[in-house]
Amino acid sequence: MAIEGLPKPAADIAGAVLREVSGIARNVDDFASGLAKTVLGADEPPAVTLDNLAAGQAAEAEFGAAVYVALRSVLRRLGAPGVFVSEAAARRAYVAGGAADPATLTVNLLEARVVRGTTAAEAARVPGSALEPVAIFAVLLWLQSTRSEDENEDALDAATDLAVALAAEVDRACAARDTARITALYARYVAHV
Amino acid sequence: MRGMSRMSDLPPHPEAIPATNEPLRIAVRRLRWFKQAFQRHVEAYGRDLGCAFEVDEAKLAAVFVRWLEAIERQKPADKSQRRAFFEFAAALMLRELVTDMPVKAAGPATRAKPDSAAAFWPEGYCCTMFCVSVHSAAMAQEFHAQTEIDPAIDDLRHWWSFRENARQDASFSAGFLQMILGHQPNWLFPDVFRARLEQETR
Repeated sequence: MAIEGLPKPAADIAGAVLREVSGIARNVDDFASGLAKTVLGADEPPAVTLDNLAAGQAAEAEFGAAVYVALRSVLRRLGAPGVFVSEAAARRAYVAGGAADPATLTVNLLEARVVRGTTAAEAARVPGSALEPVAIFAVLLWLQSTRSEDENEDALDAATDLAVALAAEVDRACAARDTARITALYARYVAHV
Repeated sequence: MRGMSRMSDLPPHPEAIPATNEPLRIAVRRLRWFKQAFQRHVEAYGRDLGCAFEVDEAKLAAVFVRWLEAIERQKPADKSQRRAFFEFAAALMLRELVTDMPVKAAGPATRAKPDSAAAFWPEGYCCTMFCVSVHSAAMAQEFHAQTEIDPAIDDLRHWWSFRENARQDASFSAGFLQMILGHQPNWLFPDVFRARLEQETR
């Protein structure tokens, strides 16, 4: 039964419990993010590429931290800073298989619900209400792009703007879990970030 | 060509071309460079004209994506046409900018001469000068060629025609840019590269 269907006092108690559970989950994830960022030594998105991450000793943790920080930045740019990003889900997506393939990683991140709790108003900030796939596409496009440390943030902004401009195509490909189409979009636009 | 003026006769803003280690023909096809270049030109012309411009970054990105697609569709296989297409790419850029107009003047151009193109249509002037400026820098780097500008650029009647026609059909913008770069556009198909080549070989 949905909370709305419970009698008022029961709904209040259930709502409070859910908020608490959600808060604990968020705190655990934020704690993990804090650790990862300490390891990486930066709050800004790192200037590493997907290939560099894959070659690292702690690829899964570094990928999770990079995706977390970058997604937060992308969501801020898209006017949805309150949307929850799960670093733990990003790490799970990385180990789910196909880590060498950006399109598979994209689908894994969507399946793992690395971005969650998006309200309709926040989703509507992107054409087609495609906030989640667009934000994830932007981060993976940025991770594949060639860029210097100085260009890192501009490159992430550019990847975000490109993803928004391509929102309809990105959303169609992601909704269909069409990795061939997602791969083609990355191949076509990665040199233009 | 009749009485062409050099690019250097126009208000130059070399500082508005962002530094890059890449050839400009590559850099201009990266959104991060393109955005920076556009923003710098808008700021520079805003200072010249005495009016602030606002840039809509989402529109600018959409313009950029459509421009890439247009280039990809029309790019000639024949390498001997590379230089001509290089120039044509700037015309396609103006077409896309005018279609979506990602820049908006916050008020009148108070420092522009009252009968000038800049006062008549600050946004159109700014976008045109951006295309000419980037094109000029890229031509100098790629072909060691100095860009020359047709005196039509100072004729307000051409700007009036440009703005009115572009409202009906944005492809007119592509013809306007070719004209001020000293070419005779094919006005039936001003945004079709093959039509431009056929026009010039007649």
